[in-house]
Amino acid sequence: MNASLDQRWLASTSHSPGALQIRELSKHYLLDGQPMEVLKGIDLRVKPGEFVSIVGASGCGKSSLLRLIAGLESDYSGDMQLDGKAITTTSLERGIVFQDHRLFPWKTVAQNIAIALKRSPLTRQEKALRVAEHIRLVNLQGFENAYPHQLSGGMAQRAAIARALITQPKLLLLDEPFGALDALTRISMQRELQRIWVQHRSTMIMVTHDVEEALYLGDRVIVMDARPGRIKYEIDVDLPHPRERHAPRLQELKEILLTELAGSDADK
Amino acid sequence: MNNLLSHARRARGLLLPALLVAAWEVASHQGASQAYAFVPLSVIGQGLTELIRNGDLLISTLASLQRTCIGLLIGVIAGLLVGAAMALSAIAERLLAPLYHMLRQVPILGLIPLIALWFGSQEGAKLLIVSLAAFYPMTLNTFEGFTHIDRRYREVARVLEWNTWQVFTQVLLPGALRSIANGILHALAFAWVSSVGSELFLSTGSGLGNLMMNAEAGARMEIVVIGVVCIGLMGYAMNQLFSRLTRHLLRWRDI
Repeated sequence: MNASLDQRWLASTSHSPGALQIRELSKHYLLDGQPMEVLKGIDLRVKPGEFVSIVGASGCGKSSLLRLIAGLESDYSGDMQLDGKAITTTSLERGIVFQDHRLFPWKTVAQNIAIALKRSPLTRQEKALRVAEHIRLVNLQGFENAYPHQLSGGMAQRAAIARALITQPKLLLLDEPFGALDALTRISMQRELQRIWVQHRSTMIMVTHDVEEALYLGDRVIVMDARPGRIKYEIDVDLPHPRERHAPRLQELKEILLTELAGSDADK
Repeated sequence: MNNLLSHARRARGLLLPALLVAAWEVASHQGASQAYAFVPLSVIGQGLTELIRNGDLLISTLASLQRTCIGLLIGVIAGLLVGAAMALSAIAERLLAPLYHMLRQVPILGLIPLIALWFGSQEGAKLLIVSLAAFYPMTLNTFEGFTHIDRRYREVARVLEWNTWQVFTQVLLPGALRSIANGILHALAFAWVSSVGSELFLSTGSGLGNLMMNAEAGARMEIVVIGVVCIGLMGYAMNQLFSRLTRHLLRWRDI
């Protein structure tokens, strides 16, 4: 019964598109007065509701790319648009989940999730209802009043996902969201995220360095290369969701991707 | 058995004071001059009964306490404002920090002659001394608290599109709270000490310091001793009270 309620609530609010278009995006930092190119000539189109995984060695600028899309970094050259609107700064249309959960230690789980609705015009009751829905969405019932330090890493990251989703962003950015979790928790979190995405159907872009994770979740996997950060390779994962982790097709794609990634190592 | 142990553990803190009292009592029995310097416990007991009967002890303690509280309040509010301003505004920091850090080096005792000259030796002058004593640590800790806010939390606030006020109440203030509480704890200790200290130097009005000054003038050393013990106990009690309160209020912390 709860599930159908969730479906109805979420379906009624997340039919918005979320098409991302990036053209000729470049970004450089100044290092000791010398410009250092972090990203060069990135072209990327993401369809509404698509799940895109980005993999690459550390230093390939994948996190910078995500921060640029989130609006946390500025001073780029090129063009970035979400549904035709240029990205210049942060916006509630673009949510982000960081590798560290970044829950406020002085707030409980429910408060941490509700706090994302500060700018929302919803009434108090509507907010409470939506918080409850999202706590259920990430399976944290019973932990509403727990403080972050009382949660396991996986639970804290779920709360962070709920906080990012509750504003119903058109686009959710995930910056190595499970990178700090142990292997078992990571696998269960990937399954959770897949379920949430299937239910939510907002556009998601996830940065990771776990190839299996990228393939298991992504409709498409993008391989980035370093110095300067650029898109090297792209692969479509032509399997329907929800997926079987050990599907032979995923294994094949994994071999291809690993070869691509190893190739970029051998270049150096 | 366990009960006994826990009692013993709690009594450990009383061991040194008890030894000190015993040594004191021994010293007081080593001749007439020693008995003046180290008043026998029995005399102290008599003095205490007298002070409690005539209400002097209560009136003096309350007077010192009241001054501490008012001065603490003023100092804490001023310290919060100045500390936060210096941390959050570069202009305020450039304007206020040099003066603040210079003044802070001067011991309050060194300011008393000037304060007495400008403001007399009435309650107002004493309040100023107490407020200043509370103001310094409060400002410093507030400043520290606000400048050490984790950048990652500010990013969350940016992503959630909070306005300046929301950032202040939801991120900065709670983030600085631990430091602010620390500041109040220090301010409390300084305020109490300087409240009694101001009475020793500006000897009008009532208070524990005045009680001791008058007793010294009348060669009533037992009352001086009672004053010292009373100041120590009160200070300790206030410190404990506030520490517990803080621990309760900041119980979300992972300690």
